[in-house]
Amino acid sequence: MTVFADFGSTWSKILDKSVKITRTKEISRDIIADIACGHNAKKRSRICVNELIALSEGGLRLISEKDFILVDVGSRDIKYVVYKDDRFLQTGWNQECGASQGFAIELLEMYYGFDCNDLKPPEDGSPVTCGLIGISKIFDEIIKTGDERKAVARFVKGIAMNVYYFTGKPRKIYLSGGLCGNRLFIESLPCETIPLGRLVLIEGLKSIYEKTEKKGEG
Amino acid sequence: MKIGFVGNPPYEVLENYRCEELIDLDNDLGQIEEKSDLYLPKISCSIIKRVFNNALALRPQKIIFDVGEGKCDSGRFLSWILRKHFGMEIVETRNQNRKARSTVICDSTLPLGKKFDLILNNISNLINEQLEREIHPKAGFWSVPCWDTRIFDLFPDGTRIFGWTRCLENGTPDDLELECYVEEGIPVVFYAQTFCSKNLLAKNLARVYRGLYVDCDGRLTSSVKAQIEAFLYLRGATK
Repeated sequence: MTVFADFGSTWSKILDKSVKITRTKEISRDIIADIACGHNAKKRSRICVNELIALSEGGLRLISEKDFILVDVGSRDIKYVVYKDDRFLQTGWNQECGASQGFAIELLEMYYGFDCNDLKPPEDGSPVTCGLIGISKIFDEIIKTGDERKAVARFVKGIAMNVYYFTGKPRKIYLSGGLCGNRLFIESLPCETIPLGRLVLIEGLKSIYEKTEKKGEG
Repeated sequence: MKIGFVGNPPYEVLENYRCEELIDLDNDLGQIEEKSDLYLPKISCSIIKRVFNNALALRPQKIIFDVGEGKCDSGRFLSWILRKHFGMEIVETRNQNRKARSTVICDSTLPLGKKFDLILNNISNLINEQLEREIHPKAGFWSVPCWDTRIFDLFPDGTRIFGWTRCLENGTPDDLELECYVEEGIPVVFYAQTFCSKNLLAKNLARVYRGLYVDCDGRLTSSVKAQIEAFLYLRGATK
């Protein structure tokens, strides 16, 4: 049985007999994947793959269009790949200004005890440069207005706009990562958004593994 | 006598100091006490901070500081600060040379790190290298000399050098046309130090030549490293 793993900084996605999505801090140190990407993947796998390459391969496997932008919004970063005429064109990875944005949404949902899927997207967002600064802005806004839901919704809209600008204001985005399940985030993006789920990088790892196996046979 | 220099001063000026110990203050000179945080704003580029730290730590008898268009405003201001506030003896130059030397190192088959070493050493000690030209470079690198030299290991041997480093080898540091010269058809990484005005050129050239634009403040970050690795791999420059 081949073990595929995408070790995120907060959540890890592991595929062996079935798919498991587990908090990274709860993963046993004994798990060694056959092929993996992400946080400490070098130590935890036999083949370690660059996350952007896994994302690219995942996109090629799941998207039938020749031109596409695929964005992965993780708990602490934003990364994307651009394909044109079926060929890789461009990539970007924002760890600094994208810092902790996905993580901040998760924290806020837990703290205030509501689900972002129950919130309506606001007309405008908070100017969010990173998750940590964004949280302090939310608290300022809550003190001023007393409206926690609106403040959080404006924060999520701010993050969505960051993703939109970081990827060059595209007409259409294919989305990867945990925020695929966040309706508020998806509706806050001002462009057509197709969520592909949390296993895009795992799909990419499958492609790469299949190619490696074929090479071995040859 | 220790003589420091910054940027690419004219060859004839450096010639006057050939018998002295010439030190390139732009370079990594090992364990140097860092005082830049006390005197320079955080938004100074890593190279300007390094020049400042090196100058203060080594206290050369004289610094030949190129403050022409081949350097930058930050360099020109730093030269003034070192002279006025730190009492250093500064010889300011404006290298406007247009007599092209050559770009044989930039175009050679050598590994990227070796090319940068040779180009930087060439400023103070001219060597006429007989090098094999890489006819089909797999990749290109547009940049100034980088603060973190580990970046060079990401590129295949024979990577062609463009940008200001090419001007440096050519001895024409303020030649903007040469600085913006890029060959089409090869994947090029456009790199600038964070807070350097060359980011304007890097970003726009990357757009026009469909390259990868990255900026880095000092140490190479894992995300910049991963972007370069992925870009070169997915464009077929590395395996």
